[in-house]
Amino acid sequence: MSTRDSSRLGGRMYRLFVLRNDKNRCFVGHALISLWALLLCSGIGALAQSNAPALKANPLFSIRATHLVGWPDTKSNCRGTLSTQDKVLRFQQGAKPIAQVDIASVRDAFLGEETMQVGGLPMKIGKAAAPYGGGRVVSLFAHKKYDTLTLEYVDVDGGLHGAIFQVAKGQGELVRNELVARGASFSAGEDPTKQSISEDTHENK
Amino acid sequence: MRTNKPNSWIFCVAATVTIAAAFSGRLAGQTAAVKSSAESSGSSTLWSVQVERIDPGGLGLAHSFQIAIYENLLEELKKTKRFKYVLREGDRKASEIPDSLILKTTVVKYTPGSETQRAVTTVSGATKLTVRSQLLTHEGRIVLESTVNGNVRFFGSNLRATHNLARNVAKVIRQSVWLGSERLARHSPVTSDCGRHPSPGF
Repeated sequence: MSTRDSSRLGGRMYRLFVLRNDKNRCFVGHALISLWALLLCSGIGALAQSNAPALKANPLFSIRATHLVGWPDTKSNCRGTLSTQDKVLRFQQGAKPIAQVDIASVRDAFLGEETMQVGGLPMKIGKAAAPYGGGRVVSLFAHKKYDTLTLEYVDVDGGLHGAIFQVAKGQGELVRNELVARGASFSAGEDPTKQSISEDTHENK
Repeated sequence: MRTNKPNSWIFCVAATVTIAAAFSGRLAGQTAAVKSSAESSGSSTLWSVQVERIDPGGLGLAHSFQIAIYENLLEELKKTKRFKYVLREGDRKASEIPDSLILKTTVVKYTPGSETQRAVTTVSGATKLTVRSQLLTHEGRIVLESTVNGNVRFFGSNLRATHNLARNVAKVIRQSVWLGSERLARHSPVTSDCGRHPSPGF
């Protein structure tokens, strides 16, 4: 290796831009594109910043849930979307009308855990029809843990209502936090996590 | 003679219609009289009931179970059609209704089960609930007291036990003779022990 080569390899580069000898025009094009992209990104960022307060005031919270019992104008054991918007908690089953409750009327929310068999009725029939007790072996593995979200709320006459939702594991806490963030005041007398542990223990017995 | 024959026929038909109308009116009057006498005797007085929240009785019953029993009770009591109004706890309308009772439910026994265990073993993992239900007047007089069971032995989730329990409570209330009967006037409580056997729906 010559001295010229060694100085080129080991030396420090002082130039901010490395000019290419043979593709000057192409480099200018690249630089312009880069500059445009930079401006575009900063512009989007600025727009996002300006919209941020509005979104923060009204972010849409939505999860899939199964209604078990208690929600107004909703059938039991139906799947739908549990969402919050403004000051109401909504549950919508497909294209059916939305059933909603004021978040301010929610008095308490309790979390629990439940293990349930998956597959529904077809799975049950299949397990029953399996020879040599094969269905029982399937049952050993065909179960899933869910969170149960129990809400207590009052109607306009002051009557106590209760509703139970089954949500994916870990999402019950999210709903509870969302309700608290939107102004629901739960009684501090009972720790919901204690409830969760209690139910879990019962299920594992 | 020929002109008299159609006239006699017309007379007969008219008489028959008159007699039939008179009898039907009399029967209707009798039915109405029976109904009014029954109402005046008070045997068909429709009471209202206010369901209180479930007392877990220190057994650590999960809140989901308590709420499920409460909601299912309200639903099943409405189905019995024995109450004019089925009210919830805290309902302000309750104070305006004169003939109203209070339903208190206390859990006396709870055996937690597991759906997976039931599915695998069939014979174990049953969820069992036993409650003491009391129908009280606003003065605190017990009108009806019963111990009722609700279980899930084979199919269904654990919460299914609450539905069966509420159905059994409603069945006890429907079959009891306290409503508007003299028993209420004599202040003697009706005690029953029902729901020991699981219903066929399990």
